[in-house]
This record gives sequence, C-alpha cells and structure tokens, in this order.
Amino acid sequence: MRKPHVAEPTAVRWGVMAVALVFLILFLVVPLAAVFTEAFRKGVGVYLAALREPDALAAIRLTLLTAVITVPLNLVFGVVAAWAIAKFEFPGKQLLITLIDLPFSVSPVVAGLIYVLLFGRQGWFGPWLTAHHIKMVFAVPGIVLATMFVTCPFVARELIPLMQAQGTDDEEAARVLGASGWQIFWRVTLPNITWGLLYGVILCNARAMGEFGAVSVVSGHIRGQTNTIPLHVEILYNEYHAAAAFAVASLLALLALITLAAKTVVERKARQSLKGFVHEY
Amino acid sequence: MSIEIQHVTKIFGDFAALKDVSLTVPAGELVALLGPSGSGKTTLLRIIAGLEVPDQGTVLFDSQDATARSARDRRVGFVFQHYALFRHMTVFENVAFGLRVKPRHERPAAAEIATRVRELLTLVQLERLAERYPSQLSGGQRQRVALARALAVQPKILLLDEPFGALDAKVRQELRRWLRRLHDEIGITSVFVTHDQDEALEVADRVVILHEGCVEQEGSPEQVYEHPATPFVYRFLGNVNLFHGRVEGSQVHLGEFSMEAPAGMGQAATPAVAYARPHLLDIDHQPPSGRPHFQATIAHINAAGAVVKIELTTGSGAIVNVEMPHERYRHLKLRKGIHVFVSVKDMKLFTQAHSTLGGGI
Amino acid sequence: MSAIRGRRHRVIPGFGLTLGVTLLYLSLIVLIPLSATFLKASTAGWSACWHTVTEPRALASYRLSFGAAFIGAAVNAIMGLVVAWVLVRYQFPGRRIIDALVDLPFALPTAVAGITLTTVLSVHGWIGRYLEPLGITAAFSPLGVVIALIFIGLPFVVRTVQPVLQALDPELEEAAASLGAGRWQTFARVIIPELWPALLTGFALAFARAIGEYGSVVFISGNMPMRTEITPLLIITKLEQYDYAGATAIGVFMLLVSFALLLVINLLQWWSGKRHA
Repeated sequence: MRKPHVAEPTAVRWGVMAVALVFLILFLVVPLAAVFTEAFRKGVGVYLAALREPDALAAIRLTLLTAVITVPLNLVFGVVAAWAIAKFEFPGKQLLITLIDLPFSVSPVVAGLIYVLLFGRQGWFGPWLTAHHIKMVFAVPGIVLATMFVTCPFVARELIPLMQAQGTDDEEAARVLGASGWQIFWRVTLPNITWGLLYGVILCNARAMGEFGAVSVVSGHIRGQTNTIPLHVEILYNEYHAAAAFAVASLLALLALITLAAKTVVERKARQSLKGFVHEY
Repeated sequence: MSIEIQHVTKIFGDFAALKDVSLTVPAGELVALLGPSGSGKTTLLRIIAGLEVPDQGTVLFDSQDATARSARDRRVGFVFQHYALFRHMTVFENVAFGLRVKPRHERPAAAEIATRVRELLTLVQLERLAERYPSQLSGGQRQRVALARALAVQPKILLLDEPFGALDAKVRQELRRWLRRLHDEIGITSVFVTHDQDEALEVADRVVILHEGCVEQEGSPEQVYEHPATPFVYRFLGNVNLFHGRVEGSQVHLGEFSMEAPAGMGQAATPAVAYARPHLLDIDHQPPSGRPHFQATIAHINAAGAVVKIELTTGSGAIVNVEMPHERYRHLKLRKGIHVFVSVKDMKLFTQAHSTLGGGI
Repeated sequence: MSAIRGRRHRVIPGFGLTLGVTLLYLSLIVLIPLSATFLKASTAGWSACWHTVTEPRALASYRLSFGAAFIGAAVNAIMGLVVAWVLVRYQFPGRRIIDALVDLPFALPTAVAGITLTTVLSVHGWIGRYLEPLGITAAFSPLGVVIALIFIGLPFVVRTVQPVLQALDPELEEAAASLGAGRWQTFARVIIPELWPALLTGFALAFARAIGEYGSVVFISGNMPMRTEITPLLIITKLEQYDYAGATAIGVFMLLVSFALLLVINLLQWWSGKRHA
C-alpha cells in the first residue's frame, strides 16, 4: 500500500522512532541477549555439561515425545476443522470458530487443572483409573493431553482465514472436472495452503515444546521421568544452578528464534500464494 | 445434448434468486443468459452445472432427469468467471487435470493424455505456452486455458460464467468472435452468462433475458432486439428514449406530442410509456407531415463515431437522444442551439400492465 | 412435477466427515474437560465455592492479577500503537528484523521469559542495577509482575493495529491535510478513530492473556501471599495442598472471567469488522 504524501515533522518522526526502538530494545533485545549471555557465563564446558546431564536428556526426550504426539494430531484437526469451516456454510459456524479459539483464552494453569480434575486421584475417572493401575496425571499421558489442549487452535486458526480468503472456486472447478474428494484435497487444496499449514505447524510445535503452566500442573515434577525442558529449567533455576538453567533455556530460545525466522519466510510465501486469488477487475 | 429447465426455484436466505424458471436449450446451440446483476443468471448456470441444487424444479439433459446427479457426474464443462485455474500447475497440467483424476479403468494412458492436451492447446492457440504457470499468462490466455481445461473431459455441455467479464475491451472483442467460431467448429451445446447486451446479441444463437429471477423473454438476437416483449427488455437492450403519457380514447398523449393509439388499446384512460431507440427518431428543420413530432433544441452533438449522436432538450426540459448517419447530419447542417423538429419513425408503446399492445406506428 | 428436496446437497464433498471429526475432537479435548470442571465445582456446593473465591488471600491475588494485567495492557496499548506506527510508516535499517522480533513473546517459552526477566531486573542484573540507585525494586515486586505482563502482551496490540494501519487509505490523511488540518489534528481526528476498535481489541487480548499468565510471572513475582501472589499461582498452591475444591472454585472463577473476556473480544472484533466492511 502507498504511504500518504503527508507526514509528521522530522523531529517528531525521530522522536517517535527513538521511543519505539528504546522500548523494543529494553523489552525484547535485552532479554534475548541475556539468555545466551547467562548460558555461557561459566564457559562452554558448563554449558555442554548442563545439556549432557541425564536429567536434561530425559527432559529433552519427553519434550520431543510430547511434540511428536500432539503436533500431528493438531495438524489433522486443524486441516479438518478449516475444511469444514472455510468450504461450507452452516448455522453456528461463528460459534464453532470461537470454540476452537477457546483454549487460547483459558489460563494454562486452569488447562492443567481441568485434566487433574478429570483424571487425578480425586477426579471423575480417578477411582476407575486407580483400580486399573493407569496413571494419567503426574505421568506422560497427562502432559500430552494438557499440551494438546493448549496447542489445538494453532493450525486451525492459521488455515481458516487463509482458506476462507481462497474461496471455493478451485474446488468447484476440480469437482466439475470429475475429481473425488481426496483428489480435490491432495491435488488442489493442499498445494494452495502448504505455507500457511507449515506456519501453523511451526507455531504449534513451538508452543508444544515450550508450554510451562499447563504441564507444570499435571507433571508432578518427577526428575528424569515427567520433566519437560521448561520444567527442567524451572528446577535448575530454583536450585540456584542459574548457568545450567540458562544453558537448557537457550535451547528453547533458539527454538523461538527459528520459529520467528520460519514465520518471516513463510508469511512472505503465504502472501504470494494468496496473490493469485485476488481477482483483478 | 439438449437442456431443459422446468419450474426451477432457488432461494438464498430471504432472497429469491430464481422464481419458477422454465427454459429449453436445443442441442448444439449457443445460448446467452443475459441480465443485470442479481437477475439470477449465474445461479441458473450453476444449477445446470450441479454447483447449486434448486429448491424446486428439475433439470433434464436429453429428457433425462439430471437434478439429483452431482456436479462430478454431469459431464459438463464449466468455465469460471475468474477462471479458477490451479495456480500451482502448469497450463499443460491444468488441462490434463480432468483426465488424470478419472477412475483408473477410465483413465487414458499418459501418452494419450499428452496427445489430447496438445490437441486442445492447439485448438485454443496456446501450444507454445504449455509449460507456463497461470500467473505468467495474460487475461485472454488464462480464459483460453480455462476453456481448454473444460473441454478436455469431452463434455456434452459447455457452460461459461461471464466469460469475457474480466478482460479489457479489445481482447473481449477478439475472444467473442473466437468463441463463436470455436462453437461452430465443435458444435457443443453451450450456455454463457453475460450482463453485456452487445456480447449476447453478437455471439449467441438465442438470447434469454432474465430479470429479478424470472425469464423476461427468449428468442433469437433479432427477435428480442426488434420485438422486445417488455419495457425492461427494451431498456436493457441498448439506449432508449422514454416518453411518459396516457392513452385516452383513440389518442395517446405523450407530453410533447400526441398520436393515434394503436387498435385494441381499450377506451379507458390508462397511463402508458412509449420507447423509441435513438436511430428511430429523426430531425428536420420543417415539421414533417404524417409523423408524430415535437419541437426541441439541440444541446450537444457528438460526431465522432459511426453515427452522429445528438442530444436535444424539449420545451418541458426533457432530454431526447437521436442518432443519424453522417450524410444526413451534413445535409441538415445542424448546429448546437438551433430549434428543430424531432419526428418518430417507430416507437413501442406499453400500457401500465406492460402488456405489449402497442405495435409500430 | 417439482419435488422439494429436504437435505441440502453440497457440491464439495466431506462436510459431514470434517464437521463430525472437528466436533468430536473439540468435545474430547476441550468441551468435556471444561464441563467436568464446572460439574466438579457444583458438586462441592456453590456456597463453599463462593466462600473460597472471596477469601482475603484470593481477593488480594485478584487485585494483583487484574490490576497488573490492566496496567500492562494499557502500557501495551500505547506502546503497541507507537511500535506499529513506526513499523508501518517509517523506513529504517533493520525494520524487518524488528518486525519479526515483535513476535518473540509469542515464540519464547514463558518459563524462559520468566527466568530471564528476573535475572535482568534483579539487583545485579543488566537493567536492575540502574534501577536500584533510584530506589526502584523491579524483581520480586508488583512492578516486576507488570513488566512481565507488558512483555507477554506486546505482540497482541502490535499485531491487531498493524494490519489496520496498513490498510488505512492514504487518501484519508491527504484529504484531511488538503482541508487544512495539521498533522496532529489529522492524527487525533482521522487516524485514531479508525484505529480505535483495533486498539481496544488488542488491549482486551493482552489483558485476557495477562490475567491467566503463569510462567513468565511466577519467577519474578516473589510469590508472597497477600502481596505478590498471582491468581494462577494460588490455584497451584491449593492443588499442592490437596485443596482440590478450593483450586476448582478459583479455576471456575477464572474460566468465567475468560469467557466474559472472550465475549467482549468477539464483540469488539465484530464491531471493527463491521466498520471495515
């Protein structure tokens, strides 16, 4: 979009810019730099040792396991939900979109709590689970479920606006040409949403690996067993192993930076992929 | 393949897009659905394609009920208004799509698909652009790819939604003639939607005029242009001068002038509207005898074009448009500001119930 | 002759399947667990719940959580507008990087943000050491909570205001200028009214997020009951003390607040959508 040919006086412009930049440096750049500085404060040796420690490795394994389960499930859910919402008209659609967004507005601690109330010793299914020797809460299944709750909107909310903007002409064209439902999805729809889908997956993955509040409630903090990377960071920090805590935290910060970089690339691609859909009249 | 639409009604929410529409498209004809936006023409086309399902009524292909058949099974070719080309596929892949998604036992071999696609691309004169992507094509080229893609599955019916709507004027002219020639070559039953009356009259064998979800008139371009059935059709097909007045006894009073009422008008005083196309009015310096006429002043002259367009103001301030050949214009030596007599060579009279009682004078 | 068809036929396949799967998944993961929580609260008895929700320690936590969230969101509304303005209107080296960095609070796990902000703001930290001589204690104080909530809420305002500012027709401002309005008048009377719904939406989103925030706050707040204990932490404390009924009561209260805010946000978005239709 063209910028207007009227602008503030130069002094005002510089002033506004300075305020914004100082604010962003204090709130974004300084903390980001601090993570890596603190991580290497005691040298590379301590840094690597903190990552190689068995409890750290166990936490990394559990985090990866959680992501490997939750991300694909939420990916499928996101695509399916976006298909239903973007390609069809039905009553209650707006309500459904709001419901999909609901986990975003629930406090992560409450998200953890609801699973404790469902599967914990005092919960609805608690007695039954105890009787069958199944452990959900303070065990891996609880962590996975809480993470699924927190991350389930990510893919869907990336895809819904994108697919709504693309409309249904392509799918109708494919239908008239004789394509089946699967053929339409794989050959026509999916190539159009690849980048948006990828972005949703990246965000979903970042949150799945980094979720703290919800997981904290359901994990039980058993070292080497139910600790994810963020929980491991917490324990190290609270036990005054600051350098080790930041070393492990730097992994997550790195993940965040990769996420931001991927977002920038993907957003550009997604904009291009939407371009052909803006009809020239 | 012939198409029959019987008593089709389609309602979106509280908007009736089509109201009890019936229509027949004979096999092999090129038919235009003409109407302003909101007249239901695109809805009708989509119902024929199976992209919408009518709330009531039936669609017959060759006298067989096709209403319940899905879009996938109707074997119609559909060209979308904005082409809906698959942007991640080349021109070749776009055209091949319909063949490649056929069930395995019907699907032609790869080599055969390639041959068919090449033939179609030759037909639409795009054989050199097979490896391009849609974004690398001009509007007219995209249109032809969309057409080739629709024809690839050898449809029995070809449907086109505003096929020239998104193109600029010059390309539009060329594509119109090209579509007409193409139709004459392959002879497939074709229906296209347009809001441009010139396009419909120039290209189609038959024109169906839709207005507010109803068929106003259908017939050959000449029929609908020369004998418009309703005031709407008259107004919609080209420029027109409008005279409000009333029928009283054997006379029609039209503000500026009066004339004999055509026979069968009835005796009671009835409001009436008369329409006259600009080329059916004439200008003279003397009152012509034997023709209804009135006085007017020349307000503006546009002599750039195939005919001279003259705008006049009547005594009561109404504006009248007249078109005449250049020779006559030069002969009369018309100038802005002079007083002249406007006479009516032919006009169409409608009484309020818009029955078509009035014929030519 | 003409049959009325009851079932609506759909051209694109898969409606029943996709809607069914969506509803099933949502029910299993979100709706049933949430309803179970409300049921749990009702079995404990509403009067007991009310008692827990209104006990002094809980009230103190609301004051902190809501107050800090409000201040944080308000600061973000102003600074977010400034940042969005600079990103959309001005060209300067590093603009793309800064633009990407605005999403850092979304991408950085909250626990990492928490320990980092605490370290930076502590007495010996990069920023804390300059605040201490001024008599300002940021870490382990309500101020720390506000700072953490500003961090966490920043992207919400920027990302809601930015697209609206981008889509703003430049002719509006040119028209105002041609009619003799000064730059400040144009800003106050033409631009701000256009941005108002987006600003409010961003504020509400940041506020809603801040109320429930846990990870980035819990390290810096100090967690002293009655003074620096946020509501989500109170829930965790109650759980750790096996006070499930108490945790449920406060959890349900937080859920109701979230739903109310969600409703407000939806109304705001509907309003701004209507204005830009």
